[in-house]
Amino acid sequence: MSVVLEGTGLVKRFGPAVALGGVGLAVHTGEAVAIMGPSGSGKSTLLHCLAGIMKPDAGEVHLLGLRIDAMGERQRSALRRTRFGFVFQFGQLLPELPAEENVALPLMLGGVSRADAVRQAREWFGPLGLGGMEGRRPGELSGGQAQRVAIARALVTRPAVIFADEPTGALDQSTGHDTMRLLVEATKHNGASLVVVTHDHQVARWCDRVVEVRDGQIIPGRHGARPPAGHGAHPSAGHGAHPSAGHGAHPSAGHGAHPSSGHDPRHPVPGQGVTREPATQILPGVSG
Amino acid sequence: MTGLMALTWRLLRGGGRRGLLGAGLTVAAVAVSTALLLFAVSVNIAFQGRADREAWRNPVAATGKATAIETVRRDYVRDRQITVVDLAALEPGAAPPPGLARFPAPGEVWFSPALAELARELPADQLAGRFPRKTAGTVGDEALVHPGELVAVRGQRSDAPVMTAEPADGPRAGAGPMKISGFTGEATGDAEAYKALGLIASVLMVVPLLVFGGAAARLTVARRDQRLAALRLVGATPGQVVTMTVAEAVITAFGGAVIGAALYGLGIPLFTGIEIAGGPWFLSDMWPGVLAVLAVLLAVPLLVGLSAVVGLRRIVVSPLGVAKRETPPAMRFVRVVALLASLAMVPVLRGDSAIVIAVVVIGLPFLAINLAGPWVVGMLGRIVSRSARRPARLLAGRRLVDDPKAAWRTVSGVAMTGFVAGFIGLLSPGSGLLGDADAVDLRLSVPSSQVAEVTAGARERLSAAGVPATIEAGGTGATRVLTASLGKRDAGSVDRARTALDGLVPGRGATSAADEDRSSAQILEDIGTGTVTVLAVSFLVAIASAGITAASSILDRRQTYALLRLAGTPLEVLNGARRAETLIPLTVMGGGSILVGMFCAAPFAISAMNVAGVVTLLVCVALGFAGVIGAGAASAPLLRSVTANPAPRPD
Ligand SMILES: Nc1ncnc2c1ncn2[C@@H]1O[C@H](COP(=O)(O)OP(=O)(O)O)[C@@H](O)[C@H]1O
Ligand SMILES: [Mg+2]
Repeated sequence: MSVVLEGTGLVKRFGPAVALGGVGLAVHTGEAVAIMGPSGSGKSTLLHCLAGIMKPDAGEVHLLGLRIDAMGERQRSALRRTRFGFVFQFGQLLPELPAEENVALPLMLGGVSRADAVRQAREWFGPLGLGGMEGRRPGELSGGQAQRVAIARALVTRPAVIFADEPTGALDQSTGHDTMRLLVEATKHNGASLVVVTHDHQVARWCDRVVEVRDGQIIPGRHGARPPAGHGAHPSAGHGAHPSAGHGAHPSAGHGAHPSSGHDPRHPVPGQGVTREPATQILPGVSG
Repeated sequence: MTGLMALTWRLLRGGGRRGLLGAGLTVAAVAVSTALLLFAVSVNIAFQGRADREAWRNPVAATGKATAIETVRRDYVRDRQITVVDLAALEPGAAPPPGLARFPAPGEVWFSPALAELARELPADQLAGRFPRKTAGTVGDEALVHPGELVAVRGQRSDAPVMTAEPADGPRAGAGPMKISGFTGEATGDAEAYKALGLIASVLMVVPLLVFGGAAARLTVARRDQRLAALRLVGATPGQVVTMTVAEAVITAFGGAVIGAALYGLGIPLFTGIEIAGGPWFLSDMWPGVLAVLAVLLAVPLLVGLSAVVGLRRIVVSPLGVAKRETPPAMRFVRVVALLASLAMVPVLRGDSAIVIAVVVIGLPFLAINLAGPWVVGMLGRIVSRSARRPARLLAGRRLVDDPKAAWRTVSGVAMTGFVAGFIGLLSPGSGLLGDADAVDLRLSVPSSQVAEVTAGARERLSAAGVPATIEAGGTGATRVLTASLGKRDAGSVDRARTALDGLVPGRGATSAADEDRSSAQILEDIGTGTVTVLAVSFLVAIASAGITAASSILDRRQTYALLRLAGTPLEVLNGARRAETLIPLTVMGGGSILVGMFCAAPFAISAMNVAGVVTLLVCVALGFAGVIGAGAASAPLLRSVTANPAPRPD
């Protein structure tokens, strides 16, 4: 499978401290990569370098062959807005905006009219188990619901890569697992890649690959640092990443394409090729 | 209890650099408020001081045994007024007037320092010649309205012509010979007018200050919301939470108040330079006294603490109320009703209404604007967020709906100033009210029996002084008026003529039309000075409050801003939203307040709106917008810096 994002020889120092000491990482299309490691080991720094948030002191980052680490802040900012999606631990939703407007905001920033943006944003609520929450404000949502709104916001622009830095760090374990599962599956279902920082080994199991970071270095060989075996056949990659593409991936239009999966049609679930247990058992909020 | 205090102190110091910056903003806001509050208090004390020091020259007739005779007359030199007081003792050992070491003996003259200096500077035939006497001493500061005042006190025999002359008539002509039993006197009409104007000015300054100070207090609370809610969640009792926050707010405010008092002390020389009634102030005028300063130092932290309690109520009621942000209840319409009700009282006022009533009726709409403000802002927010097409507008509109009070805080200062500007803009009288200031024909009133004799004497004295003039007698009745048309009209010649004519008619001086208008012109000029002062103070408050609230709103929302920026939201959108969130309410509320101010001034309007008033207003509007936009723009680097940290950690 093709590489969508690749960092090579990434070095980042903060004063004398070396946060990243020459790290390379390639992310393939539709792949979910978990980054694990002790606190302070450089996971967030790696994520920030890959996402064009930080400029590495040395090394290069390429997105679909385009070198992004050398771009100016304005260009990188535009890139983050259009090609990447982000899910953080908490606090990323604007408290005064209703959930649907929080989701619509990235589209509006991209020039989509308000009516269209809100309409597109609403399509994500049902599939993510947020039906009826469109008008609620973040303060009126539970932690898990708020993270699902954040997931919708990250996906709504059809980005190539989703970055998530401890997205469930503020949730209790069971809600955290549900949310993480949804994040992985929704991302794949939309043909995007996922880079997620997590402390939870359970969570890491749902990803295609785990990368272990220690003291600013990637520890080779653990958990198999390779693209997943069946990757090329991954069905979600073949589906349009776009919800309105008319393919099964789409939360609103595509349910009918998966009659055999037996999933609750409201959920953006991966296609049949996925090797996990049935989504109905792990998706949160199924039929209430 | 001490443990609680120690914890409070740790909270205060442990807030990190941004937390300290936040506390610093509160300290700055309280300091500015305190300094200006002291100024507003001092203004009243200062005018009272002037009135007290002038009272001895406004005699009241003796009720018991008379000890002296006093007569007071206005004389003029160049374009300044001299107060000439003649005193005759009726018994030996009569108590001296204030400012004089002893009762002036016949043949003596005592000058105020400024008059003594002027008499030395000008040629003798222009000023000193009017007092051909022995200079016995200096009139002390305790008897002078201001350091530059021109006062001459002459000692007379009780049978001297000037002590028995008919009192002159006409406004501000002085006081005719009057038997007195002491120098208590009473405040002059002008002094009362100045006190009233001073009171209005301080109301106009204090209300925005209180609003600003209260807003500053809420800032501390808002910033601590999260942490306090967390404390509450871990089981601190409501009482403990209240004690800690209030203690924190009071400590911060006390620091600010002390700094503010010091600032005011440093500013005193600046304030004393503001010339009112023809002169600057004594340094002691602007010192409100230890008691007043202590009262302010106590009151400010108390008010801030009280304001903090009000701001805290929500947290204490429900620990989740703030930790989880919910849709705030809509503002009640009662707020607008309060404004309308207070406005309904205005037409009842008339120009001559009692000053206390006037102050109350003006002060109420002023305060009511502050009540109605958040409601209107919330309304605006709903309209803006419904109609917004671009993200910046949508963010601004939602923000206005979410926290109309916060948005109001940013613009309330300017809205209050708008009220002041509207009020004063309508109130400032035009210059057209006064006659031709060029009129230098000298006029002298004369008992009709002496017209011929005085005319001849005047002609002779004037030609001897080198200022030939044609003299005509006018008027009818017991008192006639001689008018001397001077051949030379330069200032020196006019003063030579005044000096030559001095003493020709006992108790009367020769005055021009311009001289007689001097007092009215002075009051108008002083209203102008007061206006500029009040507006300057209001603007300081407005811009300080806009800047401080803008900065603190960034600090409050730094995490969300930072994450939005990480996700690629352009800074311009965030800054655009902040700008819109200020400018929209500013336009509506600023304009509205100007109109309310004009409405409130209408009963007192001396004349229709004039050019100077319109210009003042336009300058105010321009300054207000520029100041608020500038203050908001000044915090853009702060936004950049709080969003620059790529790994925002919740703190
Ligand atoms: N903005 C920064 N300034 C200084 N040091 C930093 C900054 N960000 C991270 N670091 C340091 O770099 C190292 C790696 O940090 P980070 O990537 O955040 O670790 P992780 O996410 O794995 O916990 C740590 O030692 C941290 O203290
Ligand atoms: Mg981290």
